[in-house]
Amino acid sequence: MPLSRFDRVPLPNLKTYTFLSVLALSGCVYFAKEAIKDPDWNIQDKVQHQNSRQRDETFNISSANDTSDSERSLKQWVSDMSAVMTREPICVWVLINMAICWLILVGRCIQRMVFGDLRVSEHQHLKDKFWNFVFYKFIFVFGVINVQYVEEVLLWCSWFALLGFLQLIAQLAKDRFEYLSFSASTPIWSHVKLMGLLTGIFVISSFMLLVAIFVGYFIGFNTFAFMSAEVILLSIRTLHVILRYGLHLYDIRTEDASGVNPTSPSGSEKVWEKRGPITYYTELVFELSALSIDFLHHIHMLLWSNIFLSMASLVICMQLRYLFQEMQRRIKKHRNYLWVRNHLEQNYPMASSEELSENSDNCAICWENMDCARKLPCGHLFHNTCLQSWLEQDTSCPTCRFALSIQNPSSSRMDAPPHDLQQDNQQPIRRELNHFFHFDGSRYVSWLPSFFVEVRPPQLMRTSDVQNSQLDAMGRQVQQLFPNLPLSTIVDDLRNTRSVEVTIENVLDGRLVAPSIFHERNDHASSPSSSTVLPQSSVPSPSAPSSSSSTRWEAANPVETEDNVAGRFSKSPEERERILHKRMEHLIQTARKRYIDKQHSSTETHS
Amino acid sequence: MAGSAVRRLLAEYKQLTLNPPEGIIAGPIDEDNFFEWEALITGPEGTCFEGGVFPAKLIFPRDYPLSPPKMQFTCEMFHPNIYSDGRVCISILHAPGDDPMGYESSAERWSPVQSVEKILLSVVSMLAEPNDESGANVDAAKMWRENRDEFNKIAERIVRRTLGIPA
Ligand SMILES: [Zn+2]
Ligand SMILES: [Zn+2]
Repeated sequence: MPLSRFDRVPLPNLKTYTFLSVLALSGCVYFAKEAIKDPDWNIQDKVQHQNSRQRDETFNISSANDTSDSERSLKQWVSDMSAVMTREPICVWVLINMAICWLILVGRCIQRMVFGDLRVSEHQHLKDKFWNFVFYKFIFVFGVINVQYVEEVLLWCSWFALLGFLQLIAQLAKDRFEYLSFSASTPIWSHVKLMGLLTGIFVISSFMLLVAIFVGYFIGFNTFAFMSAEVILLSIRTLHVILRYGLHLYDIRTEDASGVNPTSPSGSEKVWEKRGPITYYTELVFELSALSIDFLHHIHMLLWSNIFLSMASLVICMQLRYLFQEMQRRIKKHRNYLWVRNHLEQNYPMASSEELSENSDNCAICWENMDCARKLPCGHLFHNTCLQSWLEQDTSCPTCRFALSIQNPSSSRMDAPPHDLQQDNQQPIRRELNHFFHFDGSRYVSWLPSFFVEVRPPQLMRTSDVQNSQLDAMGRQVQQLFPNLPLSTIVDDLRNTRSVEVTIENVLDGRLVAPSIFHERNDHASSPSSSTVLPQSSVPSPSAPSSSSSTRWEAANPVETEDNVAGRFSKSPEERERILHKRMEHLIQTARKRYIDKQHSSTETHS
Repeated sequence: MAGSAVRRLLAEYKQLTLNPPEGIIAGPIDEDNFFEWEALITGPEGTCFEGGVFPAKLIFPRDYPLSPPKMQFTCEMFHPNIYSDGRVCISILHAPGDDPMGYESSAERWSPVQSVEKILLSVVSMLAEPNDESGANVDAAKMWRENRDEFNKIAERIVRRTLGIPA
């Protein structure tokens, strides 16, 4: 195991590290104590010591007059000790090491209290972030500002150590939040702890910003800019996570509320509709501002490091390029968003209240109740936000694949995979030609799947939206007479005939036939031709066992076991997990039993 | 947002629990991660996979239902439309944009109106009738076309294995 050994060597475990640090510190303290014992210890540096002494005295006089002798000597002793220790380079390093050790211990405490055990991905993420941070700050300190004095290096290092520490914790909190958002059930107190931690990070980073302003006021703008950039980034990101988190908690809460009373979410529905754009714009503002601050920070560094061909500026340039591309991508995505939104608002009206009451289905995208909805030319209703997010990536109706005439400005689909973009540009016609009939089987029988059949000759495709909605209206007229014909079939015929009367005649004469799927559904005997068709007989039906032996088994095993577990959706996640497990076990056992029984019966008939 | 995805998944889970299709069970095995489900699919009757109970894993994306989940059988499978590592290759699981095989029309592909239930039922019908044009497993496709008896034998062996019955 050379690898694991390698992993272990550079990072000794925390206990030994703490122990060694404390040992080193006590060694230093001992050294300093011994040094003070020697009365001549401060001869070399009399002036400095005298100064500090004077300061001490003035301080004592000004503050109060009740300082006892022993306290004074203790103070003296401490100041002497620290004077010795800061003078000795080894001691300085030991002190720094101790500070780092403290930071790590504090970090470990926070981890224990808030996060518990880290998941593997979180661990990996943390490690990456840490080395990344160390690398960039090394480049910054030695490559960009090119510090000359040890004190300066120390100051920058301690500043970045604190900042890096906060960033790591923030990263961890973000990861954990994202993980928690995967879960449908998290105890409330873990949310509270995480939220508290995030708020703490935000407060500390705001405080650090104040410090940076203070320092910058005395030293200069450049120092301020360098110090504050990362702090501002940290606070922006933390605030972003806090907001997202709050929204998520709000979502979860409304979900609980609607779970209790699923028929009356009318109030929250309105909020939901408005919420979409608000969330979107907050995301946009936060992402863009973080990117632009990072970008400016890097430009500042590039200009500051006057050796343009150094390694540092190369790294910075690469980072700049990346940031620029990110910003470009984000802006393009936003333009796509705006475009889709405008297109939605201009071309597809909101459904009227009659249409909404007529339509008893939920939104097909989120499966939630619709109190207000947008109507596509094909007659399908969706939530505005749901439709918006779907149309940002596709240009057809989710239910019937009716191709909407959305021709995005060609450049605006950068977030989609590149080959998708190419396809869109090269074959706009092909895309438009994909008009299909859709059969939503689950509307009739819950287990029946949906399929799609092409029903139209391709040369008749180019119709405008206006025509489409006219056809749609006509189609609905016809459909009222023949409710079992799918609307799209009628509309397709209308496209040829351009007249309601002729189409009705066509239907009556049997010229207008429902797509093959309908026949297959009504006529079980004919074997399905399309591979997506699910033959009804293919679903095994344990309720009607084919062999007598399996009925015997069902009797032997109490049927309640299935009744116990099926047909119930528990509120508690643990119970749901248990029931799911039980049901799975039961399914396997039943199948196994039936298989063995069948085998027995077949061998009996053979013999 | 993950919040709306969880809500939709919870709704689907509820529907699948209260009103399960015959021979199909699916749900998040560990609710700490609602985006990973396990499913059991019973082999359709009258086919070579009859009687078997095949376990599979469903991994949902964060923007579900805008993007399709990924499905992978966790047992050994031998089927023209299932890769040797268990990944399922059917059109309903492909996002409208990508077309790895270059033969599918976008109408058969993923759309938010699809659901876990529809995916699993499509997989059942895929088990019943392989589409030997998509060569996820070329060997299986070839055997399915040319040597059906051998294919049935292998399927039989897999069925036994999923049920824990020694051959
Ligand atoms: Zn919706
Ligand atoms: Zn539609």
